[in-house]
Amino acid sequence: MTSPLLTMNGVVKRFGGVHALRGVDFELRVGEIHALLGENGAGKSTLMNILSGVHAPDEGTITIDGAPVHFANPREAQAAGIATIFQELDLVPGLDVAANLFLGRELVKPGGFLDVARMREEARTRLTAIELDIDVERPVGELSIGHRQVVAIVKALSYASRVLIMDEPTAALTVSEVDRLFTIMRKLSATGVGIIYISHRLEEVPQVADRVTVMRDGRVAGTTAPDAPQAELVSLLVGRPLEDLYPKRTRTAGRRLLHLKDARFHPARASAGWQVPQNVSLDVHEGEIVGLAGVMGAGRTELLSALYGTGLAGRWAGTVEVDDRPVRLESIRAARRAGVALVTDDRRGSGLMLRTAVGRNLVMSVLRRISPRGFMSIAREAAAVARSFGQFDIRPRNAAMPVGALSGGNQQKVVLAKEILGNPRLLLLDEPTRGVDVGAKAEIYARLRDLASQGLGILVASSEMPELIGLCDRIVVLREGRNVAEFERGVDEHTVLAAATGKAS
Amino acid sequence: MSDTSTADTEMPSGKTAQKRRDPLALIVRFQSLIGLVVVVIGGIIFSPRRHGQILFIAPDNIANIVRAVSETGIIAIGMTFVIITAGIDLSVGALLGLASVVTATMMINGGVGLVPTILAVLLAGVVFGAVQGSISTRFRLEPFIVTLAGLQAARGLALVVSGNEYINISYGDGPGLAPPVFAILGERLFNNVVPVATIVFIAFAAIATVVLNTTRFGRYVFAIGGNERAARLSGVPVSAVKITVYAITGFAAALAGIVHAGQFNFGSANDGAGYELTAIAAVVIGGTSLFGGAGSMVGTVAGTIMLGALANVLQLNNITPALQLLATAAIIILAAVLQSLVRRREGLVR
Repeated sequence: MTSPLLTMNGVVKRFGGVHALRGVDFELRVGEIHALLGENGAGKSTLMNILSGVHAPDEGTITIDGAPVHFANPREAQAAGIATIFQELDLVPGLDVAANLFLGRELVKPGGFLDVARMREEARTRLTAIELDIDVERPVGELSIGHRQVVAIVKALSYASRVLIMDEPTAALTVSEVDRLFTIMRKLSATGVGIIYISHRLEEVPQVADRVTVMRDGRVAGTTAPDAPQAELVSLLVGRPLEDLYPKRTRTAGRRLLHLKDARFHPARASAGWQVPQNVSLDVHEGEIVGLAGVMGAGRTELLSALYGTGLAGRWAGTVEVDDRPVRLESIRAARRAGVALVTDDRRGSGLMLRTAVGRNLVMSVLRRISPRGFMSIAREAAAVARSFGQFDIRPRNAAMPVGALSGGNQQKVVLAKEILGNPRLLLLDEPTRGVDVGAKAEIYARLRDLASQGLGILVASSEMPELIGLCDRIVVLREGRNVAEFERGVDEHTVLAAATGKAS
Repeated sequence: MSDTSTADTEMPSGKTAQKRRDPLALIVRFQSLIGLVVVVIGGIIFSPRRHGQILFIAPDNIANIVRAVSETGIIAIGMTFVIITAGIDLSVGALLGLASVVTATMMINGGVGLVPTILAVLLAGVVFGAVQGSISTRFRLEPFIVTLAGLQAARGLALVVSGNEYINISYGDGPGLAPPVFAILGERLFNNVVPVATIVFIAFAAIATVVLNTTRFGRYVFAIGGNERAARLSGVPVSAVKITVYAITGFAAALAGIVHAGQFNFGSANDGAGYELTAIAAVVIGGTSLFGGAGSMVGTVAGTIMLGALANVLQLNNITPALQLLATAAIIILAAVLQSLVRRREGLVR
């Protein structure tokens, strides 16, 4: 456990005038799981890109087993035993598991024909080695994201076996999938593989890591034991003590905005894996932030999308009221007319035009308002954009930049600002801080609280329990599409989890 | 706050951030204009001369170039809207043939007046396009397939209407004759310099530029190409806008068909074949992304004229049509490669 497998000393990297790394020392021991934390722009990605041969360092040395190495390209890094698993997994959805594992290095019989039988056999052996039972003949596209992740890991390990770099592997996983992934990581580390584990989720660190290194502004801010208090990690991350990640509540709830009583959604066609909302009863008032808790698959996302007329086509039954008037929230038009807005959990897929300028993204939901008689008003557009920048502190302050070039946190601010420009009365929010660093999280929470104090009602679904507990005035727990419990502010994580899983606490 | 107030009004391509930093992006943004300048310079250098006059830039020759591209140009203008929404319309060439046939048949065989004929043909083009757009959105079919079927349908209809024969347009007063004023489409104005067909093309382009860059509808078009799902969630009437852009290409094809009939004094069911591909080439060379979300009308006009100028200079030098095709191929690939390089430079594509 103690011998260093990999060391990086005094690594410096500049991109043009930008000093991305200012002398980083990093060490990974044999069989160690080393968590690497840092806000977006702290230099994690640059450091890992140098390690995996994508970039060459301007200064500094890298040694593996004490011998200096220089990687001219990713292939050389792989040859030295370094594998990287990116968030977007490099798998082909239409090919089966075995074919993916051997992609580009297929086993062939004499004559050049694929030896499918031997590849499948080999794939089975590798997967059972980590005690995972996946049908190797199934297309990868049919697997859960958790299983896909494991396939990607096994694939990476098949050509690089010393160092495994994992970039936010848990971002899209359910709680049980995360547990399974951690078990697999521990097994791998027990065989001597060193794992560098990049994550935004502070609470996961003690569960799996042996050591934690925090980066900030291109330097190592500190390396500590994984069981260091969360507050200490947060202050290392943001460079100042973050007294309270979550803002104080400033206003009591006003009149009732959304009222669901025994609300059931009847989809026109059933769809596997889409948990239909059934018998949901909940209220959201002006100025109130209500949380939706529940395990993955409990129907949080489905409830939000069905209230916005997206997701599956269908109709609501039971009581669905906005402002105490019955509304049919079965189309986006109807929802928007009722003052409802939705920010999905997938800002890249369904929130932003990534290649388009920030300003143009911001005004997308208010085009009607800023184009009297059909012609765009430059003045109104500029005013709307300026309002968003002022309200959400989007960095950099450049409306002409493609939004895809922004950090995850700033992209999330753009998506939120875009919907807020439409002056909604009720905001439906799904995973408001997924893939967002701690600093930006705090900003987003503060903005949400500001908006609530101005009278906005917010219904927010999240898989991060601390987020719900810290942010929300009330938490409604969903299980199998039904609300099964409701808690006031101050409830503890254990109680909510027990209600979500249906196990007595 | 001065830097936040630039609402990117004249930069529909979304490449603004690079405009100061990245010379490659600058080249791509103006690739069609740069290409046009290069072709013009090359044309002047390689142009044959007669009595010391450079034939390529002789007024007659220039008029010829801009006249020859006017029909594909009109189609390319419509196509630009469709391609910015990440769609495609393959039916336009065949629709041009159909429009020319219907125009000639209505006036010559049907005895319908000029104005009603033109209005009816334009309306038919709009309907044809809107039907394709509706089928594509309603049944969630790829526009490639729907408009491929539309191509066959338009060609088939044109053959039925014309009986697979040229319908010659004769001019004069009375039944079975077209009003002489229709022949103006084949003539030149302003001291016999500017072809009327070109004026139609440029006027259409000017209107399209205004619509694309200054109207709400234009923003909807960009938004759908930028991220259709996000546009829908933000309240953009996606289906209506998509149907409209196909109605616009239908209108453009019908307009080009009328111009065609007026220029050549006949309607022919088989004319316009392949125009859709020339138009798509002009749009892509003009810097509009086939992935949608980015593009410009000015680029399309420049791309159209550039292709015409290139063909012309090769013709002047008696280079075979086969080599002309190869030259066009090389330019299309070059334009696409440049765009792809910029996308990678932006770091948005791995």
